[in-house]
Amino acid sequence: MIIEERASTHVYHQRRMLTQEELAQKESLCVHEQPAYCSASCPLKLDTKEMIHAIAHEDWTKALNLYGKIAPFPHLLSRGCEAPCEANCKLCSLDGGDGISIHKLEQAVAEFGLESKGRKLPRMKKKKSIAIFGSGLFCLFLAGELHKKAYPVTIYCKEENIADFLSKETAFATDEDIRQTQIQLEKTDIQFKFAAPVMDRISFDAIDNYRTSFDILCMEYQLAASLCGTLDYDEHLVFSRTYNLVTANTSGVLEAAYAAKRAALTVDRLAQNLDPANTRGEEGPCETSLFTDMTDVTPAPSYLASGAITRELAVKEASRCIQCHCDACIKGCAYLSHYKKFPRILTREIYNNVSIIMGDHMMNKPINACSLCGQCTFTCPNGYDMGEICHIARENMVSTGKMPLAPHEFALMDMFFSNNDAFLVGKQPGFEQCRYVFFPGCQAAAIAPDTVFEAYKDLCSRLEGGVALILGCCGAISDWAGRYTLYQDTMDFLDQELANLGNPVVIAGCPTCMKELTHHTQLTLTGIWDILSEIGLPSSAKGLSVPAAIHDSCGARGNSHIQQTVRKLVSETGCELVDTPYSGDLSPCCGYGGLTAYANKEVAKEMTEKCLERSDKPYITYCMACRDRFVREGRQSKHLLELIYGTDAGAPPDISQKRYNRLNLKNRLLTEIWGKEIPEMQCEFKVTYTEEAAKMMDERMILQSDVIQVLNHLRKTKEAVLDSETGLSITRMRIGNVTFWVKYTETKDGYLVHSAYSHRMNIITRQ
Amino acid sequence: MQDKNYYTIDPQGKLKCMKCQVPLVKGKAKFMYLDNGFPVELPVCPVCGFVYVPEELALGKVLSVEKALEDK
Ligand SMILES: [Zn+2]
Repeated sequence: MIIEERASTHVYHQRRMLTQEELAQKESLCVHEQPAYCSASCPLKLDTKEMIHAIAHEDWTKALNLYGKIAPFPHLLSRGCEAPCEANCKLCSLDGGDGISIHKLEQAVAEFGLESKGRKLPRMKKKKSIAIFGSGLFCLFLAGELHKKAYPVTIYCKEENIADFLSKETAFATDEDIRQTQIQLEKTDIQFKFAAPVMDRISFDAIDNYRTSFDILCMEYQLAASLCGTLDYDEHLVFSRTYNLVTANTSGVLEAAYAAKRAALTVDRLAQNLDPANTRGEEGPCETSLFTDMTDVTPAPSYLASGAITRELAVKEASRCIQCHCDACIKGCAYLSHYKKFPRILTREIYNNVSIIMGDHMMNKPINACSLCGQCTFTCPNGYDMGEICHIARENMVSTGKMPLAPHEFALMDMFFSNNDAFLVGKQPGFEQCRYVFFPGCQAAAIAPDTVFEAYKDLCSRLEGGVALILGCCGAISDWAGRYTLYQDTMDFLDQELANLGNPVVIAGCPTCMKELTHHTQLTLTGIWDILSEIGLPSSAKGLSVPAAIHDSCGARGNSHIQQTVRKLVSETGCELVDTPYSGDLSPCCGYGGLTAYANKEVAKEMTEKCLERSDKPYITYCMACRDRFVREGRQSKHLLELIYGTDAGAPPDISQKRYNRLNLKNRLLTEIWGKEIPEMQCEFKVTYTEEAAKMMDERMILQSDVIQVLNHLRKTKEAVLDSETGLSITRMRIGNVTFWVKYTETKDGYLVHSAYSHRMNIITRQ
Repeated sequence: MQDKNYYTIDPQGKLKCMKCQVPLVKGKAKFMYLDNGFPVELPVCPVCGFVYVPEELALGKVLSVEKALEDK
């Protein structure tokens, strides 16, 4: 069986993995980049979270820069702001604690914030000039906003000096606030026309005269309203189209600041001869769908509840901020942690990766590194399914011929092996028609063949109506690889075998098989855990003598029935179970799922380590792949069925042993259950391996059967080279998409293998 | 015109073709993978054309180029 390598990627062949709408819908579920609750409620769009972060790190310059972006006069705004953000602080939701005193922190920023030392780049003044008539907070803030936008601004007011001008509507401010604001104003080139004669005899005609010297006119609301009974104006745009005047009726400091911000944008649009109503972008407070896990947060009082605001107290208070953000998915997932990307970003990058034709496909590795385990569908407050995205991407890449074969070929060949050489189907002797068929799964046969043997014998002896057996792969491997056609073929193959047995009730030995087999809709399915729960444990059942932790299978995610039944069975073996975090539906994948163990060993290892962080106790699994990977990492680990049948699968088998185990189990069942005679495999020569060679072959995914094929080829062709330096002979053979090389010495009855290696590149001679 | 070779190994008489019983010589070969070809010079049997790919080459340069091409 050979799977074809992908065709040329230079051929234009494309299919969208998601529509733009589907992509947007999926991305919207990831709330990581949503604004914090404090920022969302600020009409001025202060990056409150970042500002508090800067204070906590004593970076007052940065804090003031952030605050100054939204506050042209920090002293005044920070003193008078109504601070709707405070009530929205997530810490307010904890009983017995205070939200962050954001308002007072802003005052600290105004007071302690050092002006940015860096020289400001001289900005070209804009051509269009603005006149503001009147005084009060709206006029002051608007002047400040327009100055920031580099418009030449002239203020016409009744007041006779700057102190009088600043005293209007600023009763809330301290003398120091006013003094600082005045210093700040004097540094600007905002022009003041104090005691302006026009203010005494204000009329539309009088104002209109100024349109020759100024491009845009702005006015204090009371003044504008006094010119005409009711002023026809748009409250959001703070603009009267009838009178071609920018003005705003505000009360309160924050409202004045927000109106000034909108007015400045309106001026900007007008200055460019654009309609002020169009393309303004998002303004004002916004909704946020951020999720913040508060489980580990303890309530605490504010450091600034009373008394003077000092630098030290402000830093302490800012340090109380939990910097609201959502990392619920990444905390539990080694895959997302490895790539340090949140699902929204990762999805977008994967989508782009799949869409491009030529060039680097940097996301091929991440697409194939996800274990498709579904943990994020439970850890994410919105149930983001990163596995689904990666799976769709894999299917897309396969169907468009963009998927390299290297990541999955070994696993797919292993599936073929399970469903060909190692495949076995049989009815319980003495039964023409069986009520059940036991389907232990390929990994159980590969890792714990004796356990499978005992389980089958037990089921045969204790269940009524006969139990057939199928040794094979459920198709999960082709499903995970995104090879839809292969998966369909496997489904059809199993359907046929099951139909031949008369579609008995399938007893799955593995939750993942069970999940895959639900796609065969005609089947009645159950798990061996349910059968054993019903008929009771055999006398061989014996739990561990020390407390252990359950590691839930990804296949059982969302299925509390399986999770609970397994716990009940383990308890019945007399094993004490400890509670651990990330159990049940939150369980991380061991690294086998989604073929991560084949496609990306590094990430797979991190996944295993993540699982082992959950507890330092021995693990009891109900998936054989989990058991295998945990033992490989040095953790005592048992499969549920090992406990129940008193078997010990022992040290983890290497990839060749996993194949022999499946063949041997098949032969053992055929001889011991079905009484067949198995002719002993005759090999013309004997192959032995140095310890080092056996180890490196496991790492390099080279099977002993590959080596034997290469040596058979050698015997036919005599093609080999002798390296006089090492004394080793080296031969090779291309098998499918891979060239295997074997370094050997001859022995009296065969070969001793010293090393084996492979490459996928094909080599040809040229002239 | 001289071909650019991505890799060159001279067997320096240390390797012998066991079938033809002659020393391997430096010869022209080409690696092909996923649409791409790389001219190289490797130990080749002058009689039967057996091209030898040393372990260090397979696990080093060849593997890294394979990985890079799989991301194309
Ligand atoms: Zn030769």
